[in-house]
Amino acid sequence: MSEIDFPLLTLIILLPLLGAIAVGMISNAKQAKIIALSIAGFELLLSLLVLQFFDSRSGDFQLVEQYTWIPLLNIEYLVGVDGISVLFLPLSALLTIVAMLACWNSTQYNPRFHFSLLLALEGITIGVFCALDMMLFFLFWELTLPPLFFLIGLWGIGSQRRSAAMKYTLFMLFGGVPLLLAMIVLATNHAIQVGGSIPYDLSFSFLVLLETPLPDNLQTIVFLLLLFGFAVKAPLVPFHTWLPAAAMEGPTHIVALLMGLKLGIYGILRFAMPLAPVAAVEFVWLVSILGAVTLVYSALIALQQTNLRRLLAYVSISHVGLVIIGLSSFNMQGVQGAIFQMLNFTLIASALILIAGFIQHRLGSTDLIHLGGIAKVMPKLTCFYFLFMLASIGLPGTSGFPAELLMIVGAFMAHSGLGIAALSGAILGAAYMLSYTRRAFLGPIKHNDVWQTQDLQLRELYLLCVPALLVLLFGFFPDMILDVNKAASEVWLSRILFDSP
Amino acid sequence: MDFLVVLIPLIPLLAAIYIGSDFLFNKNRKGNREAVAALVARSAVSISCVLAITLLVSDLSNNNDGFYHVGQWLGSKNLSIDLLFITSGYSVIVATLFSVILVVVTRFSTFYLFKEPGFIRYLFIFCLFSTGMMLITLSGNAVITFIGWEMAGLCSYFLISFAYDRPVATINATRVFVTNRIGDASFILGIALSFYYLGTTNWLDINDMADLLTTATATVIALSFAGAAFAKSAQLPFSPWLARAMEGPTPSSAVFYGAVMIHSGIFLIILLQPIFEKAPFVMALLVVVGLFTALYSFIIGLTQTDVKSSICFAITGQIGLMVAECGLGFWELASWHLCAHVIVRGYQVLTSPSLVFSVNGNPMRQVSSHLGNKRWLYNISLQRFWLDPIADRTLVRPISGLGKDLDYFDNNFIDRVMGSPASAATAISSLTQLEQKISPSEQNNDLNKLGRGRGFAGKLLEWMAGAMSWFEERLVLRGIGIEMVDIGKQLGHAANTFEKLLLKSRYLVLFVFVVLMIASSI
Repeated sequence: MSEIDFPLLTLIILLPLLGAIAVGMISNAKQAKIIALSIAGFELLLSLLVLQFFDSRSGDFQLVEQYTWIPLLNIEYLVGVDGISVLFLPLSALLTIVAMLACWNSTQYNPRFHFSLLLALEGITIGVFCALDMMLFFLFWELTLPPLFFLIGLWGIGSQRRSAAMKYTLFMLFGGVPLLLAMIVLATNHAIQVGGSIPYDLSFSFLVLLETPLPDNLQTIVFLLLLFGFAVKAPLVPFHTWLPAAAMEGPTHIVALLMGLKLGIYGILRFAMPLAPVAAVEFVWLVSILGAVTLVYSALIALQQTNLRRLLAYVSISHVGLVIIGLSSFNMQGVQGAIFQMLNFTLIASALILIAGFIQHRLGSTDLIHLGGIAKVMPKLTCFYFLFMLASIGLPGTSGFPAELLMIVGAFMAHSGLGIAALSGAILGAAYMLSYTRRAFLGPIKHNDVWQTQDLQLRELYLLCVPALLVLLFGFFPDMILDVNKAASEVWLSRILFDSP
Repeated sequence: MDFLVVLIPLIPLLAAIYIGSDFLFNKNRKGNREAVAALVARSAVSISCVLAITLLVSDLSNNNDGFYHVGQWLGSKNLSIDLLFITSGYSVIVATLFSVILVVVTRFSTFYLFKEPGFIRYLFIFCLFSTGMMLITLSGNAVITFIGWEMAGLCSYFLISFAYDRPVATINATRVFVTNRIGDASFILGIALSFYYLGTTNWLDINDMADLLTTATATVIALSFAGAAFAKSAQLPFSPWLARAMEGPTPSSAVFYGAVMIHSGIFLIILLQPIFEKAPFVMALLVVVGLFTALYSFIIGLTQTDVKSSICFAITGQIGLMVAECGLGFWELASWHLCAHVIVRGYQVLTSPSLVFSVNGNPMRQVSSHLGNKRWLYNISLQRFWLDPIADRTLVRPISGLGKDLDYFDNNFIDRVMGSPASAATAISSLTQLEQKISPSEQNNDLNKLGRGRGFAGKLLEWMAGAMSWFEERLVLRGIGIEMVDIGKQLGHAANTFEKLLLKSRYLVLFVFVVLMIASSI
């Protein structure tokens, strides 16, 4: 089933990009919105089709398409998916639909451009997950910036939105430089290893580079460069300051996309570790300490936050730390848990920030000083908030639990200190989430505005229902996710552990 | 009859799902929704109870295999977590007993709370709780037990904050949940350790392999599970949460903290008897903690003036005795003690409101003379051994202080070092600000050019004087002068803050902790 002649992945990348142009040209705003939504819906169906054609028993890349792109430098258009990346396609598509529905009525200013950018971002993000040529990956990676720059800068809700958009873009450009350097080092190394000349024997193909031997000193350089570049996007402490700023200033459905799609960790998982396996094992102490520091540091800061959006930004950073701990344990439990948790981000973190957006839209603030007693006037919103909050702190029954359990078990198998850090994160998680919840959602109502707010509308209710059901479904049947990435994780692990002494 | 065991937790769960989705999606706010929900909850819990009794009868007539394997819940290489139920022995007895109590309390509360605000919410939580308790008692796998364990803890959180518009209730609920979370972390630690050393998370396999363990390994595993049990059963040092938990409605207090949930810790210890018996140190710890808790509860119980508090300390006292019995090796006695206590205490808490009603107007009983004469003991008893303030001082405040400092550090240091584009807030917006930025000497720049030379020598002199003056102004005055003082002040201020922070005990503790972590990893 895995090899079909039809270029499905190309279609899935191009459809939203073409749709973005089409939506931009339609003059009627309402029509444009409906067309954008239907394209996103069709995209979701296509991504489910990919899942249908995908054979989870094999750990190799599937649905691979290869065309020459820039012959001079041997850059190819090479896309494909494996068990690690395939699940991100439907979830990204779903997240885009959810984001579109969330901002359906709240985008007053130039909605055509807004929806067109959302579609473009969807196509580019899926491109990032599919790209197997380093240059193609880098292209998609950098292309995520312009849509996000405009989306944050033009439709932000904070007064500093321009500055936040600029900050985000500068941070990402800054992180892009080491990535490019590392890719050039890898390509040149390939030319040297095969004894050919530059530029005729350069190779940017990920599949080729995986097989190319890399001297140990170069491995160190490549690994550290890639780690640094991806750490900015992930974000790991101390490169995280763009995320709280973006969360405060950006429109919430865009922040949901930022928090939900963890491209940075995906980069570490896909490229940094397998391309330089010896260095990855050698520097595992650095990565795991970075993860542990990120986890505990942001959890402690989260304890002090009074604004839901800012709090969620730090929660998201803290969970990134946990994922990094899981990855750097280098065993099946840790890696599978980490991939699981990355998928959870698209459901849980984004749904929470969308709920924060609903509150912001109704009351003009998500700060504690303006809230209190929301549960009384918005019982339905509170129900969903509780579900996602509990999923976020990893309570059983939700998909947060199996992921967290696997990562903690994996961390303990690798190093007891890491396991303790992961456990303390779980305790702090309950403390920061519940203390915010207590002051914002429970307690007496203090402000008249709160009395007059409305509960969730039908549109909002249904758009939250889909992630809620998925969270419960994956929580009850975690093997649905784990079976898909099992074979690929095994290949991933063997690549790292067998290549190193 | 083994397959029945699946339905026992499943039916209350389905009822909870029905009640919850009815609340979310049913627009019809009128009608007898309360009555329907009550009927659903009552019948679900009753059916589950009948099934449990059937299972028990079948077990007593030796028709059960001992376990029932449903399938794999989660698999990751050699970690396989099975949905496995125990269908014989003590687990079934306790499950049956608990389910009978649950039926009684459901009936009681459908009358006691009917049409009160939040009645449907109460039923939803109650059904969820029944599922959780049945998972704890019947599951044959540590992870599935933990799922029930957390569900019960969550339901306890929801019921303590039942009157969620009262700030005290919500503060207590949060505190109780976070305290319990420490025990939960200990439970997960236990799961991870047993997987690490034994390669399995099934209770029966863990117990079977207990003989193969060295004393040290058994001690570590038993210690983790004992920590979880202490937190859940409100043993020292976690005891104070129980008094806070009495905030909820009476029927829920009866079932959570009187009869059912509070016993799950001691149940866990009894379940893991073979492991504990391999760890003499933990057995000794059980005796010490149990006896101290009993003593603690007894002393405090003497001065309590409201019915729920006095019952609450009686509960921890009795459970402390059970823990001590386990530690001394009287497992049979502890098991019977548990069952008897469930029944008596459930009845006592349920009837406590009527008790208050019937003794209304009676004169207050004097504090016994033993206690009254010893003022220090009386004080200790009233202050409940200061356990809550101690926890505040040693844990809560340092951690939240650390969070505050880090937040400051993040905003004022990391953010600045990482850089951010100039925003409107920091830009110069008025002429006054601009003038403040420019130093006074620079404003008078033109006035300084007094000397004007003529001819070559004159020009040379003028140029030299200009260069000197530039040097003086730019480097000496500005470099060492006013700005230097400012920078020095800032540096001094920073050093002062740093010094102050270092003196705070939390950083000392943190430092020691980090050193220990590093030492252990080398």
